Parts: sequence; structure tokens; C-alpha cells
Amino acid sequence: MSLTSTPIPKIQTKTIIQMNNVWTSYDAKNFALKEITLSVDRGVNYAIVGQSGSGKSTLLKLINGMMHPSRGTIRVDYQTPDITNKKFKKMMAKIGYIPQTLGLVKNLTVLENTLMGALPRINTLNSLFNIFPSNEIDEAHRLLTMVGLENKSKRKAYQLSGGEKRRVAIARALMQKPEILLADEIVSELDRVTSHEIMELIAEAQRRINLTAIMVHHDINLALEYANRVAVIKNGEKILEIGVDGDQIIDFQTGNMTQQEILEMYE
Amino acid sequence: MNPKNNLIIGIIVAVVIAASINIDANPVNFVDGFPKLIKIAEEMTQVDPNLFHIAFSAMFETIQMAIIGTVVGVAIALPLSILAARNLNSKWVYAPLRALLAAIRTFPSILWAILFVIIVGLGPFAGVLAIIMYTIGFVAKLQYEAIEAIDSDPVDAISSIGVSKLQLIRYVVIPESASHLLSQILYMFDYNVRQTSILGLVGAGGIGYYIINYIQFFEYGKATVFMLVVLIVVLVIDLISIKIRDKFIIKSQRGMEMKIK
Ligand SMILES: Nc1ncnc2c1ncn2[C@@H]1O[C@H](COP(=O)(O)OP(=O)(O)O)[C@@H](O)[C@H]1O
Ligand SMILES: [Mg+2]
Repeated sequence: MSLTSTPIPKIQTKTIIQMNNVWTSYDAKNFALKEITLSVDRGVNYAIVGQSGSGKSTLLKLINGMMHPSRGTIRVDYQTPDITNKKFKKMMAKIGYIPQTLGLVKNLTVLENTLMGALPRINTLNSLFNIFPSNEIDEAHRLLTMVGLENKSKRKAYQLSGGEKRRVAIARALMQKPEILLADEIVSELDRVTSHEIMELIAEAQRRINLTAIMVHHDINLALEYANRVAVIKNGEKILEIGVDGDQIIDFQTGNMTQQEILEMYE
Repeated sequence: MNPKNNLIIGIIVAVVIAASINIDANPVNFVDGFPKLIKIAEEMTQVDPNLFHIAFSAMFETIQMAIIGTVVGVAIALPLSILAARNLNSKWVYAPLRALLAAIRTFPSILWAILFVIIVGLGPFAGVLAIIMYTIGFVAKLQYEAIEAIDSDPVDAISSIGVSKLQLIRYVVIPESASHLLSQILYMFDYNVRQTSILGLVGAGGIGYYIINYIQFFEYGKATVFMLVVLIVVLVIDLISIKIRDKFIIKSQRGMEMKIK
């Protein structure tokens, strides 16, 4: 394929993630999520906000197949997410998941951590000897340049600051050439400037590739600023879902509402 | 000191007394034998300096045995530890393997040495095989415990990329447990040098062979030379492993670069 040829678009439906009346629990007594119904369109930035313990991380783990609903159905690109199912592996390679704790391998370098995103498409034997095709290495360097870490590519992950670690996790996720990015509070503990830089990085990646981002935020203002849609979760239930279009905020049940009204509901 | 501690101390003393009755331990025997001990100590001071070069070459053989035993033992223990880790395998794999490793650990190295002397004959090869067995039993256990204790965050994050099991082991499990492995190898080598020093008692090579011979013929002065050499070498190895530990392990565990003077 020549570099100039434009990719032929696949025939895709608008919806990439669909959850229907999903319930799930960690123990027999309490449901961590109740009656969740939502659908996410391709290419959007979908934000999930809510107090801590409301079930946001659980929601992401359902989408990437680490957890399973006890009731209801989930479809991610027509498939039921299940990390233990061999048939879902191809899809897993296309889901970039950044857990709240980032999950970097602290004794490996920034470059090695980034390259891990390419592992599913690399010959296993070669990868065991740390042999990566040169185009993959170039891609990793390109992404590290993009996130501003090229000069630290040989550093060990444990030697990085919190903001730098998040950038590596983003580079690793983008290295997957993902269709979906699941990011769990990756800007929550950062200062304002750094969190805006990181959100811009993701917005930039979304402009370049047709990436659907589902991002959990603690700060609803950040969600309103960057997301096309915001779902508010409270005690495991989706209490509100709004569309954001510039300054206009649309509640799909009651019509337009002001930012102040949303902040009040969030409290 | 509170009453609970007193109770515990009381129980320990009672257990020691009970145990001594069973094994015929009698302080009177010890006191009776004391003059003999003084005589031995006196003879031990009459060291024979001419023997030092033989002692060092015997010690060199001992260290060679310990190096081979440790390296081969660790090389076998590593894959076994991965297979024995509960977080990476099904019960059908790890349970029998753990039972086998536990069985290997029940024998002290000296018993393995006797067994291998019977199988392969007298000499250092039997000693090396004994050290290998002992190393496998212990390093595999320490290492599967280290693997089970690794941080689950990178494991979850990398598994969810859809990597293969071998890739997960190569890129997460081994790097995350590597600092433990290095300290276990150092500890094991240190321990194996001391163990190998006594394997000569059963004819399995190394410096212990000389020591037991001299003691059998009551040449305590000569035995002292060999024991001194063991002491010196063990101390030197100890110093070296402290240096290595500081350089590689403390740094990675603290999570930052430190200068150690
Ligand atoms: N591993 C777990 N075991 C048991 N309960 C859990 C576990 N993880 C989360 N929970 C519970 O599930 C609920 C939702 O948790 P989580 O999804 O992590 O919330 P959030 O990410 O919004 O802070 C909380 O009540 C939490 O205590
Ligand atoms: Mg969370």
C-alpha cells in the first residue's frame, strides 16, 4: 500500500459501545452498578463523572471485559467483552485501557513501556527477545515525541514524575492504534496546566484517528470542557446524561440546562 | 514487660526443657566435657601456615562448586517458579509442582550429597548436584512467592492489551520480580558457599573434606587453617554481596536514583 492512498472506510454503524440495563456487583449484597443503559458513538469523547465510589472504574472494567455484568448486555463493536475469551483478544488489542494506577512496568524504560502497546501484533518469539520491527520502534519514538518524552525514552518508569507517567501510559495506549481509549481519572491528581496539556494530547489524537474516548473524570468542569457527552453516575446509577455542544448543554430528558444546574445535581 | 510476654517466655522455656529431655541433652555432660574443649582450643591455636595455599585452592574448588550449583539451580528454578505461581497457572499445573518442590526442600543438602555420592561416586560432582537440588527447592519457592506478590496493576493493564501469556511473563512478571531474584541469588550463593564447605564431610568434594580428615586424626591446628580460610572467604563474599545489593537493589526498590557512598 502506498503512503498516499487514503484508507477505504469500513462500513461501520455509528454506535460502538452499547450497554443495556447492566447490573454488576463485587459481592452478593451490593450492586456496584445498577440499571446502566448507555450508548457511545464512534469518535466521540464520552466523559463519566461522579463521586469516588460511585462505580466509574467498574464501568470501564465492564467495557474492557475485565468484569462481567450479572444482568444486562454489553456490546463493544458487536462483541461481548471478555478478557478470558480468545475470540475477544483482537478487540482487546484495539482497546487502549489506562487504569487509575496507570499500570506501567516500573523497572522497564519509557520506550519499552510504550512498545508494549504493539505486542499483540508482533511475532511472539521475536518479542520475547525484545526484537521489534523498526517501523514499530519509529512509531514509539514518534508518539514519545508527541507526548514530550522523547528525551527521556531511556529512563526507567519509576524515575518519572506523575505527569510524565501519565504521558507514557497515553503513548502506550496510542501505540495500540486503538479504536477505543478507556482512561480512568488520568488527570485527577495533576495541576491545572498539566491536566489541560494531557487532555489536549488526547483531543489531538482523536482529531488524527477515529478514536472513541471514554474518560472518567473527577472534575465535572474538565468533562464539560472536553467531552461531547457526559454521564453522571451516583451510587452506581446513571442519574444524568448530557450532550455538550460548545456552551450549550443539553439534557436528553428535560431539554437545555445551565452549567450551574448540572453542578447542583452533581453535588 | 507485660504478663502476656511472660507467658510466652514461660512456654518457650518449658518447650526447650521438654525437648532436651527427649534428645538426652544434659548440662552435666557439657560441663564434664569442658576440659576437652579447652584442650582442643589450645591445639587449634597451633596453626600450620604452610597449609594456607592448599586451603585456598580447596576453597577455590568449593567456590567453583557453589557458583555452578547456584547458577544451574537458579536457571532450573526460574521456569519452575513461573509454573508454580498461582496467579499465572491453573491448579493442575501449580499444585503438583508445589508438592514436588516441597518434597525437594525436605532434604537438607547433606542428604542430597549422600544420595549423589551413592549415584555418581565420590567427588565434587556429587556436591554440585546436591547444591543444585537444594537451590532449586528454595529459589523456586522464594521466587514463586515473589511473583505472586507482584503489583497487579501492570498485570491487569498489560493483559487487557491482549498480549500472550509468554509476553506477559517477559514484559511484566519477570521485570517486576527481578529485584527479588537478584537478592535471592546473592543470598543463595552466600549460603551455598557455606553449605559446600561442609559437603566434603560425606566425600562430595570441597574444603570440608580436608577439615573432616584433620579432625578425625585430631590435627586441630591444621583444621584451623582451613576453617580460617572458610571464614575469610565467607566474609569477603558477604562484603561483595552488600555492595551489589546497594548498587542494584536498593536503588530500584526506593524508586529513585541514590548515591551510596
Ligand atoms: N475489588 C473490589 N472488591 C469489592 N468491592 C469493590 C472493588 N472495587 C470497587 N468496589 C466497590 O464498588 C463500588 C464502585 O467502585 P469503583 O468503580 O472503583 O468507584 P469509582 O471508580 O467511581 O471511585 C464502590 O462501592 C467500591 O467500594
Ligand atoms: Mg475509580
